[in-house]
This record gives sequence, C-alpha cells and structure tokens, in this order.
Amino acid sequence: MTIENPASSPEPSSMTAPGLVRRLAVHAMMILLSVLSIFPIYWMIVTSLRPANEIFSTALWPASPTLENYAFVLTRIPMLQMLLNTAVVAAFTAGLQVVTGMLAAYALVRWRMRLSGVVHGLIALSWLVPFQVTMIPNYVLASQLGLLDTLTGLIIPNAAHAFAVLMLYHGMRSFPSEILEAARIDGARSWKILWQIVVPNMGAPIASLSIIAFISAWNEYFWPLLLSRKPENSVVQIGLQMFMTQEGNLWGPLMAAACLASLPILVVYLVLQRHVIESFMKSGIR
Amino acid sequence: MTSFQAEFAPSKAAAATPMRAARLREPFSIAPWIYLAPTLALLMIWTYVPLVEAFKLSFYQWNMLPTSPQRYVGLKNYERLIALPEMRNALWNTLYYTLGLFPMSVIIPLFVAIWTQDLTGRARKIYRALIFVPMIVAPVVAAILWRWLLNEDQGIVTLGLDWLGFDRIGFLTDPRYALATLTWITGWKLIGFSTLLFSAANAGINSAYIEAARIDGASRWGIIRDIRLPLLSPTILLLSMMTILFGAQWSFAYIRVLTDGGPLKSTTNIFYLLYQYGFETLSAGWSSAAGMIAFAGFGLLAAGCMWLTKRFAVYDN
Repeated sequence: MTIENPASSPEPSSMTAPGLVRRLAVHAMMILLSVLSIFPIYWMIVTSLRPANEIFSTALWPASPTLENYAFVLTRIPMLQMLLNTAVVAAFTAGLQVVTGMLAAYALVRWRMRLSGVVHGLIALSWLVPFQVTMIPNYVLASQLGLLDTLTGLIIPNAAHAFAVLMLYHGMRSFPSEILEAARIDGARSWKILWQIVVPNMGAPIASLSIIAFISAWNEYFWPLLLSRKPENSVVQIGLQMFMTQEGNLWGPLMAAACLASLPILVVYLVLQRHVIESFMKSGIR
Repeated sequence: MTSFQAEFAPSKAAAATPMRAARLREPFSIAPWIYLAPTLALLMIWTYVPLVEAFKLSFYQWNMLPTSPQRYVGLKNYERLIALPEMRNALWNTLYYTLGLFPMSVIIPLFVAIWTQDLTGRARKIYRALIFVPMIVAPVVAAILWRWLLNEDQGIVTLGLDWLGFDRIGFLTDPRYALATLTWITGWKLIGFSTLLFSAANAGINSAYIEAARIDGASRWGIIRDIRLPLLSPTILLLSMMTILFGAQWSFAYIRVLTDGGPLKSTTNIFYLLYQYGFETLSAGWSSAAGMIAFAGFGLLAAGCMWLTKRFAVYDN
C-alpha cells in the first residue's frame, strides 16, 4: 500500500525511523478520515441486509443476509415510481440547465453589449438569494400555475441556474477567440457557430455540469417538500422522509429505503468516480 | 479555481486576463438577448420578482389563503420580530451552525491536507475516492443514517459509548447536544471534500519556493507558515466564504428531518424559522420580514467576504 515516490514528492522523507513514523501517522490519519466518511454508509447497507432478529447486532456482516427489508419497503411506499420520478426530474433539470446555461454563456462571450456587466451581475447575484427568502411567492406562483404536485413544477423553476451559466461561461472564455472571429468573418451565423464550433469543444464543462446538476437535482429536498402532495407524484427524498415518519424505528426497512434512494447516485459515482470528484473540485459546492 | 471563486472572489490573475482584445463594439443587436432570454426569464420569474414580492409581503399581514385579503401593516412585522425571543434565538443558532462548521469545512481539512501531502500513488487514490463520498450523499439520507448511528437505544455510537463506560447521550433529544449533533452532520458531508480541495491547491504550489526555503534553512513549520498558508489563502477564503454564506442553509434538511427545530427550539436557525412562519403558522408577513432581515444580513456578509478576499488573498502569478 505504501508506495512512496521520492522523485515526485516535494519533501522526500528518507527511509530513516522518523520518516517511517511520520508515514505511518499520515496513513493513520487518512484511514481515520476514510472510515469516518464511509462507515455510516457501510452501516446503512449492512443494516438494510439484516433480518429482523439481527437488526441490533453489531457484527460487521449479517449472519444470514436477506432482502426482506427491501421487499417490505416496496409494499409500503411506491418506491419504484418515486425513483422513476426522481430520475425524470433530475435528468430534465440537468439537461435544461445545460441548454439555458449554454445559450446565456454564449451570449455573454460572443457579444459585447452595453448591459453585459449588468446581465452578468444579475445572473451571478441570483446565486446569493436564499431560496427560503423567495419560497412563499414561488409557492403562490406554482399553485396559480397549477404546478402543485406535478413533476413539471419540480423541474421548471430549476431549469436555469446561475451556477450553470457561470461554469459554462468560464469554460467558454478559454475557447480561442481567433476561431470564433474567423468563423464570423466567413459569414457563419451565430447559431451555427454555437452548435458547430463551440458546443463540440465544450465537452468537458458540459459533462461536469451535467454530473453536478443531476446529483444536486436528485438530492434536492426543499422545493419538493413544498410542492409535493401524493407520494406517487413525488421524488424519492420526500418518500424517504414520509417513510421515516410512518415507520421511524423499523431500522432495517428504513435503511433499505435509504439505500434505494442513494443507489443510483452511488452507481454513477462508482462508474464515473474520477469525473465526479473532478467536476465538484473544479466547480465548488452548490 | 471554482466558478464560485471566479465570480465572487476574483483574483488579480483572473482580472488581468485580456478579454478578447480583437472584439470591437458592435451596433445594437437583438441576437444576444434571444440567447439570454430563457435564463433571464426564468431567473426573473422564479428569483427576482419573488424577491420583490417577498419585500412587499413583509409589510403585510396574510395567512397565505388565496381567498383571504392581504392587510397592510407597515413596519409592524419587523417590530414584532425584533422583539421576539424566537428570532434572537434563531440568529444565535445560525451563528453557532456557521462557526461550528469551520473546524470541519476549513481548519481540519487544511491541516490534514498539508500533513498528508507526501501521499502518492494507489493509497492516495483510494483515500480520495473514500473521503469524497459523503459529498454526494443526499441530505435526507445523511440525516436518516446518522439518526440510526446515534439512536439512543441501539445506535452503534451509543453502544460504543456504553462499551467505553460513558453515559448515554440524547444526541437529538437533549437540547444541550442537538445543535452540536446537527452541526456535525452538516460538517460530515464537507470534511472530505474540503480536504481534497486543499490537497489540490497544496499540490499546485510551485516546489521551487519550498526548495529555496529549505536551502535557506527554514523549518518544516516555517515553510508551512510563510509559504504554504499564504499560497493556500485563496482556497481558505473560498471555503470560509461558502461556509459563512451557505452553512446555515445546508443544515435545513437535517433540522427538518431530524428535530423539527427542537428540542425546545434549540436547533432552529433563521432559515428554519422562515419555513416555520411560512408553512407551519401560515404567517406570510412574518416569514417575509424575517427573510428580508436574513437576506440583508447575508448580503452584507457576502460583500464583506468579497472585500476581504480581494484584499488578503495571495496569488502566485
């Protein structure tokens, strides 16, 4: 495990005794932090697999693992429907944020307008308006538009986000302007430049934005909390909370429900691990 | 550099980037406005107009029923709120959440990142993959799994305390501990991510500076204090700013799912108070007035943070 590469390490520690102690301490600290991060999730999975008579066991793996908790969850709440709803909401939210963000970022990069600064500021500052401050007018508007208890209502208000515009804007600014200029001089329409030249070269920022927008939309809790009424029209976070309120101390089924709710995200993470980490690191917390 | 950083904490380096120099001012064109329309329309409809409406509502009394009238009450909502102990309590708790997050979002990650900078290869990749995970776990899931771990009867933490011979603690039911517990859960999601951000920034420091200092006989601590910390200041300021501006909002889901603001209102922060006024007691006026106070307060904080960043962040350019 302890592969040390002195050549690339900025402060090479020799193989002397103090160096070894230090390295052990470094690993000890990282192992502690890793356990702290991962154990709660591991424990959720293990508990979800325990049969009812083992639920309070502290063994690291159940003696007779079972899926009965999952079966119980599926009979109690429309879990599959909610997972499907959440997938639809998250996919549309991410897709729309990419499209609206792309168009707006392109406008800010391509044209110099008298009001560029104002528009840019208006978009950026919307990030700093806490949702709790605007929730009542938002709720009233959604109910007037008949969006209560619908998936559309969950998607539309999040179809544009300052974060999406700014992330793509910064990605696009590093795009060589000479190419854009050349295309313009050739008489290409702005629309054509966007789709044929800019978008194909924005793969990395678009992928990062899609990952982050999808994960945050999947995990979103507050707006669905205000909007949703019936479990079958709702998303999985709300379902999870309802299930907890009803069956609060049935730990096995509760953990099974929590596992089902996080499974898609964890699968995305397992598959795209490096991309997910890098996307978040490049773009900050949302 | 993150988008947030680029936007709200501009560095000298970013400011100095030449904006496409060849671009000439063009005559007015409708085209950019068409491209901007979807974003601007959505932000207007769902953020700015509601913000103005919330400002208006803060001078009215209204129970949120479409059929009942909105009654103008002037500054009464604000006067009542300022006099309410609930409001003061919520503001104190907001401060507690924010300050309580700092060790987990900034201080510990900073020192772990510096301390573990020699890690390379496979081990480093594995740690990286593991400590990032809490960041993508849904807040509701995090709330539920900590509720199980900390359960007062059979939770693994409680059993651990028993085993060590300590008394049981009502992590979520004892007003003395509930606020700290929720702060911990909020921080749990951030600690690994912050560590990774600091590690990346630390690895980006030009090793020539470190070499030069070492040749000059600087101690390990001297190098950290005089070279690493100043060059890490943009990341320190970024994470501090995010903690200050968003920390109290991040804890909302945990409060809602785990304690409903209790026990004895010990975990209610300003954002949760807004929610309770709005959707539990249905007093839109109070909620909006408290919202305006919060918005103004956080707006001032944001301006202060940006000023501090511009003034104190050290960039290597």
